[in-house]
Amino acid sequence: MAKPPALRRPGRGRKGDVPRRIGASSIMWLLAVVYGFPGLWFVLSSFKPAGDLFSYPLTLFPKKWTVSGYAQAWTQFDVARYFLNTLIVASAATLLTVVASALTGYALAKYQNWWLKAFAVCILATTMLPSETILAPLFVVVRNLGLYNSLSGVVVPAVITATGTFMFRQFFVTVPNDLLEQARIDGSGELSTFVRIMLPLARPIILTLAIFSFQWRWNDYLWPLIILNDPKQFTLQIGVASIVGAQNVNWSVLLGASVLSMLPLIGIYLVFQKYVMNADLNAGLKD
Amino acid sequence: MSNSALHRRWAVAAATAAVLALTSGCSGGDDSGDAKSITFWYSTSAQDKGYADLATQFEAKEGVKVEIVNVPYDGYQDKLKQAAQANSLPDTASVPSLDTLWVNQLQDLSATANNATNNINKDLITAQDGKVLAIPSDVTAAGLFLNKTLFDKAGVAYPTDPAQAWTWTDFLAAADKVRTTTKVKYDLVYDRSAARIRPWIYNHGGKGFQLGADGKYAAPDATTVQALADFAKLNDDVVMPKSVWGAGADPNALFKSGQVVAYFSGVWQVADFADGITNFEWVSAPTPAEPVHATDINLGGKVVAFNTKKADAAKKWVDFIFQRDNYTKLAQTNGYLPIEKGLTLTYPFTKKAALDAFALYVKEMEIADPISASGQANGTKLLLAGKSVDDALIKDEMGKLVNGQQDAQKTADNIVAGLNQQIG
Amino acid sequence: MISINLVLFLLFFVWPAVIGLNYSFTSYTGVGTAPYVGLDNYQRLVDDPAFYAALVRTVIYTGSVVPLTFIASLGTAYLLVSPYAKGKSVARVIFFLPWLISPIIAGVIWRWIFGENFGLVNFVITELGGKAVPWQSDANLSLIVVIIAATWANTAFNMLLFVAALKNVPTAYYEAADLDGAGAWPKFRRITLPAIAPTSFIVVLLSTLHTMKEYGLIVAVNAGGPGTENNLIVQYIFTTGFRRAQIGYASAASFVLLLILMIVAVVQLLASRRKGA
Repeated sequence: MAKPPALRRPGRGRKGDVPRRIGASSIMWLLAVVYGFPGLWFVLSSFKPAGDLFSYPLTLFPKKWTVSGYAQAWTQFDVARYFLNTLIVASAATLLTVVASALTGYALAKYQNWWLKAFAVCILATTMLPSETILAPLFVVVRNLGLYNSLSGVVVPAVITATGTFMFRQFFVTVPNDLLEQARIDGSGELSTFVRIMLPLARPIILTLAIFSFQWRWNDYLWPLIILNDPKQFTLQIGVASIVGAQNVNWSVLLGASVLSMLPLIGIYLVFQKYVMNADLNAGLKD
Repeated sequence: MSNSALHRRWAVAAATAAVLALTSGCSGGDDSGDAKSITFWYSTSAQDKGYADLATQFEAKEGVKVEIVNVPYDGYQDKLKQAAQANSLPDTASVPSLDTLWVNQLQDLSATANNATNNINKDLITAQDGKVLAIPSDVTAAGLFLNKTLFDKAGVAYPTDPAQAWTWTDFLAAADKVRTTTKVKYDLVYDRSAARIRPWIYNHGGKGFQLGADGKYAAPDATTVQALADFAKLNDDVVMPKSVWGAGADPNALFKSGQVVAYFSGVWQVADFADGITNFEWVSAPTPAEPVHATDINLGGKVVAFNTKKADAAKKWVDFIFQRDNYTKLAQTNGYLPIEKGLTLTYPFTKKAALDAFALYVKEMEIADPISASGQANGTKLLLAGKSVDDALIKDEMGKLVNGQQDAQKTADNIVAGLNQQIG
Repeated sequence: MISINLVLFLLFFVWPAVIGLNYSFTSYTGVGTAPYVGLDNYQRLVDDPAFYAALVRTVIYTGSVVPLTFIASLGTAYLLVSPYAKGKSVARVIFFLPWLISPIIAGVIWRWIFGENFGLVNFVITELGGKAVPWQSDANLSLIVVIIAATWANTAFNMLLFVAALKNVPTAYYEAADLDGAGAWPKFRRITLPAIAPTSFIVVLLSTLHTMKEYGLIVAVNAGGPGTENNLIVQYIFTTGFRRAQIGYASAASFVLLLILMIVAVVQLLASRRKGA
């Protein structure tokens, strides 16, 4: 298990490395500054008092640091309960999405069938309609299935995603068919091959999709708002949205609430991404 | 390895099943019909306690708990639409506007609305065939804000009484003077909204976009078209920045920069400014009249009671809200311009500018030309005829005018055509 | 097992989509009956110059955002898996953060930077003695600002796809290349790019589909302005359809959009197959 990460060349430590390191690091940090700057304004502004947010001349750093935006966001709605609800929804949806996407992606990659190809295009079609077009009809369906006003009504319609399916399809396409043939020769059943051999190989995809799915469901807003009636089931974004009024936006509270609602996502990302980075991927692929 | 992996898959499957059971088991829903508790949906971005306080009193008095749900403004209408389709409307609500989809499920609130002690402004309720469908929780009005610090620095006077209001010409001259002496960027920012352009038209003597005898929007008078053209000319990056009406920049933020002399918006900014402006002094000034003294009077939330299984308790709660003493408390706590006449209100602001602003708005509404309320009246009329019309297209068409994509006449024609298309 | 997916797909996409498709042949307003009007909605759409204007703008927008996002996300991903760059753990979060920021916040951030009245960029330009640039009231500049904002916001998602793909390139290939004394660029072009081709394909495909449907970000940054010049196709559908209670018309426009995207997707799928073959 102590094999080097994928791109680590054996030439490490040789002479040509130093300029390369400086080059790569400086390009990366240049990009990081460009990408980080808008976010920096966002995070720093969340510590500004409301009166200083739009003051001129512009300042990046707060003249007076305050957490009043955070404090007010915290009392604006039942943060702990909404947080828990969102966690349930996001975890359940992520689990189901990963399982469904892996299976479908595998089938699309490894079985040749005209109707599977058609199905692939159909799954892509799910991303092609504007959300509003499908909103009212989808509501009718969910209501008819008796999922209205329940967290599962938020979870289940979100399970199939084109992104997830295609991530797995494209990954499994690169897995050599020999591996599959070998398993068949060894008398392994199709499902068992998938679970025992394919899924462990696809771990980076599983984790990457998990990050995606978690973020999508965490930030879902309109659909949970429509489906859930009981404030005891409300999700975090419903609480955050309640800060945006008809005529006014209380920016300092909104910025505070947004920073708070992002923290769990960053945590999940860091944990999962660590596994993606450390995954020993070449094990199964080497001939 | 393979064995433990297999076990892990089974664990995942079991967890999946458990999560599904959990999420579906969480489904709420009682509706047993016993009026132990009723629901009240409304939308606020402030931390107002008004309704919560009333609910506590109501429970003590009637033994019925009111569950207050704060529904975010964005998506509230959609939520109501879908709830109506699923037969899951709340018992009571304060809604941004009525919807033809569920207007037939409303209870008659005429007993509350006609109660003489309440003294509710009858011009602003929604009534059909003697049936009162909705009572506004409050009234809103458009109005002008000045950067007092800049005016003081430039030594320019401003009116404080609506009786001595500026004309728009005088105001723009004064603002010009303030801008040039204090070396700030702009005279004015002006909310990009269909409701806010109305007072501009009315002030200049136009009638704006009104319904004709045939129930459709009529072509506007020449004064209105001229007023639109004049308004567009102000967006010259000197008097007003082009970015607000042209590209949706936030006028509130621009005004808060301290680089803009005045801001035309409305009463709802008072609470925001009281906390959110600390770098300069601000003050409310009467809306200029040129020569007509008008504003745009609109309704805050519209309080309704639905025909649910708990209809009686729902109606009681609505009646309770509008009882004179209760409503006084509500209006004070939430900072409402009252729908009930003759109340003496003490608002909880500590800032003098905020208190003065409310006093000014009350005065302004008393002397405002009746046309000031016609915008919302047209909307109500159409709604009761089963038509829902969204006038947001006015700002899009005005945006094209400001951006030089079309002239004022074409803009007016497009607005009328667009509105009538919705009437069908 | 795949049949469960099929069922979900039928339930939560096909069924609602058929209801929506049905609306597109009616003059449904969201309330009451939906009178059948045949192809009238489609006819109206084909005759509306505003629809073509929005379509052209959307194509320009997509044509800019997709390549930029592709380069930015592949570049950042490559650096994040490179053994040479220092401080990756911090940079990783910095690149990821923009993707989490909601459109309404992104709008206020980018207006703070590129606002033409009191924005940062114009502030710097005027301080240096230059003339303020009309970032909001010039149609093309305004679109450029949104393109920058969209690239910034979309990079993280595609970057993660590339990271997973790059981690998956067999090290043996590089080792062999090293023995041949190949430089960094040839290795990238000959080994990395072909190895991640399947991922590059979905990045392009999904980005295209997503970008063609852009709505929230552009509304937050410049409201589709100046005027209506930067209204993209979904905003057109919203403002002329849903906002005006023309559900039938909006549905028709949506299905035309679906048709266009379907053609784009099938063309890309076929192109990738030919390349793969």
